[in-house]
Amino acid sequence: MNEYSLAISSRYENLAQVTQFARAIALDFGLNDREADDVELAVDEAVTNVIEHAYRGNPSGIIHITCALRKNEFVVEIRDDGKPFDPGKYRSPRTSGPISERAIGGLGLFFMRKLMDKVEFRHGRTHGNLTVMVKKVKA
Amino acid sequence: MITEMLPNKICVITPAGRLDAVGARPLGDELQNQINQGNARLILDLSGTRYISSNGLRIMLRARKDAEGRGGSLKLCGLSSRLLEIFEMAGFDRIFEIYPTREKASKSFE
Repeated sequence: MNEYSLAISSRYENLAQVTQFARAIALDFGLNDREADDVELAVDEAVTNVIEHAYRGNPSGIIHITCALRKNEFVVEIRDDGKPFDPGKYRSPRTSGPISERAIGGLGLFFMRKLMDKVEFRHGRTHGNLTVMVKKVKA
Repeated sequence: MITEMLPNKICVITPAGRLDAVGARPLGDELQNQINQGNARLILDLSGTRYISSNGLRIMLRARKDAEGRGGSLKLCGLSSRLLEIFEMAGFDRIFEIYPTREKASKSFE
C-alpha cells in the first residue's frame, strides 16, 4: 500500500493534524527528517490557501489529502470542492530589498515552490481545486 | 505565550507552540496590544518555537512595521537552525535583527 488519505473540514485548527500526517508518511516513504520538514511546511501553506481562498473561511468545506509514493516521487494531492482559485496568477514576493518594499502576502506559495520539486494547480470551471506537490525521494 | 517587561522598557514576548495560521493569531494580537500601549521596543524570543509558517512570518513583518512607526523595533532571538533556514529562504534574515540570546537583543536597543 503506497497511498494514504485523510479528509478534514476546512478549519485552521486541523492544520497541525494534517501537516503531521503528511510528515509522518514522508518519513515512512524514505524522505529524511529535513525533507519531511519541507513537506510539513508545504502542506501547511497549501491547505491554508484552500481554507482561505477556496472555502473563504467557511469551516464546513471538506479537504481531501492524499500522500503517495509513485516511483521515486513523494506526491501530495490536496483536493477541495470550493471556489476555483489560481495561485499561479500571484507574483512571488520580494525576498530582498528594504522592509518598506516587502509585501505582507504571497509567501505561502513561494514556500511551496521552494520546498517541493514540483507544484501544480488545477481547478474546475465552477468549483473544486486540485493542488499537486512532488518531492523526489533520493536513493 | 509569556510577555515580560524588562527594566529598560523593552518588552519580551515568548510564544509557545506552532506559529501556523492558528498559533500566529494570538501572537499577532499580543504584539499589536503592546505596540498600542506604547511598548514599541520589542523582542520576540523564539527559543520555544520549533515550527513557523508564512502566517507567523507575516505577523512579524506587520508588527515590525508598526513598531517602527512608533519609533521602536521588533528584534528576534533564540531561533533554531530550522527557523533560521526558513527566515533565510524568505529573505527575512536581511530585514530582521536576529540575536542568539535575549540579552544581546536587549543590549542592541541601548
